[in-house]
Amino acid sequence: MTRYTLITVLLVLASFVVQQFLPALTALHHSRILLVQLVFLCAAVTVGQPTMLLLAFVCGFLWDAHCTLGSHGGDPEIYSQPVESLRFGYSIVLFGAMGFLMQGIQPLFKQGKWYFSAMLSGLAIFLYLAAEYLIITFVRGNLIFAKATALQMVYTSVLTMLFSPLIFWMLFGIASWCAHSINPEAGKKHRRHF
Amino acid sequence: MKPLNLIAILLFLSGAVWALTRSERTVREIQGSYFSAISPFLKSGSKTEVYARSFLEEVRLSKALEAELNTTRSAMGRLPIIEAHCLELERENAQLRHSLDFKNATNFNIAAAQVIRRQPTTWWQTVEIDVGEERGIGSHLAVLSNEGLVGIVDRPGKERSSVILLTDEACQVSAKVEDSPEVGILSGQRGQFEGTPQLRLKFLSKNAVLRAGQRVFTTGRGGIFQANILLGTIISVEKGAEDSEALVRPAVNFADLGTVFVVLAKDPPKK
Repeated sequence: MTRYTLITVLLVLASFVVQQFLPALTALHHSRILLVQLVFLCAAVTVGQPTMLLLAFVCGFLWDAHCTLGSHGGDPEIYSQPVESLRFGYSIVLFGAMGFLMQGIQPLFKQGKWYFSAMLSGLAIFLYLAAEYLIITFVRGNLIFAKATALQMVYTSVLTMLFSPLIFWMLFGIASWCAHSINPEAGKKHRRHF
Repeated sequence: MKPLNLIAILLFLSGAVWALTRSERTVREIQGSYFSAISPFLKSGSKTEVYARSFLEEVRLSKALEAELNTTRSAMGRLPIIEAHCLELERENAQLRHSLDFKNATNFNIAAAQVIRRQPTTWWQTVEIDVGEERGIGSHLAVLSNEGLVGIVDRPGKERSSVILLTDEACQVSAKVEDSPEVGILSGQRGQFEGTPQLRLKFLSKNAVLRAGQRVFTTGRGGIFQANILLGTIISVEKGAEDSEALVRPAVNFADLGTVFVVLAKDPPKK
């Protein structure tokens, strides 16, 4: 189990590297594949709560290091109403919340019904983006919600979700290599069946 | 709840609170370490993106060339291909000369840079350029193109820097309207990911008399942007109860950013 946990952390770190190679798709409303979030969500359902929280912290911390904007600078007398930026660390909380959401259907995953988790990962990513956008709206004011923004969220969620079977396949492979069962009840049923 | 889970939640919350209470300086240091660590991968990522873009450009050109070639192949043999290639080189040469003229003509001490990555984050309108602290780039420096103001340097790295575009809501510029006493703050608008982005010029006087087509320039106030840099042209004016706002079409074509210039010295050298 320790080996599986370590490899999962490494997989999350590797996803940050691969994410650099995934550009926004201008043809699809600037949507993108959020690989880091996807790897975290898929991994979150295969591990216990403490490991999930560790992964959430690592992902949120590094994601904010990647995305956080600095202050505007300039003379405060001229720029008296600066646009607020999101605080470093908010993603840690969002990743944690998404992780708990995924763990909510962990019993189904343990029965071998991984496809429910795959579908939930799409929903979780949509909720993650919506929450992020709402936080931006909250700190900056003015509720502006264009159709393009909604489409961007939907396309991003769907595109990312489509890759979840691949991530689950990798996680099953890693678990098998580590001699660790991530869905033990499915294994029991399988043995009973034969 | 299991004691281990409870301890994990408490540790997680402590970690989150610790992260949320970091100062901007600490955050910048964390970001510096993070980008240093992934720098080799970022370089490869940028190269891939540049290759992909040049490949797509090649494909586009190839299609145009193919059509041309089909009509003239029988008569001209290989000549049209060579001619098209020469035209492309000529266009590129003209563009580079134009950029060079801009560099020579400007009063600012500037560093030329190439845009190597576009919009690396979900919500912010940013690009990455291939110059960093090694070339004297610091944060809050203005970035220009030969069309006008592009944005402001947000996070300078060793060899590359992140630039917030003028189209982002967080990029505010003190602006004035030509042939008018009106001054205001120009910024991008949230969620404008499609079509030609429009900027919003806020805090104009209540009875501002402006017309479509008037140009908007930087005032030079505020300590970041030099004066008289072109920002865009007014599209329309919306009068409010206390002030007026104008929609502005940016002067720069943000969809086609190639070479940009970072203004190194905040004050232009006197001639």
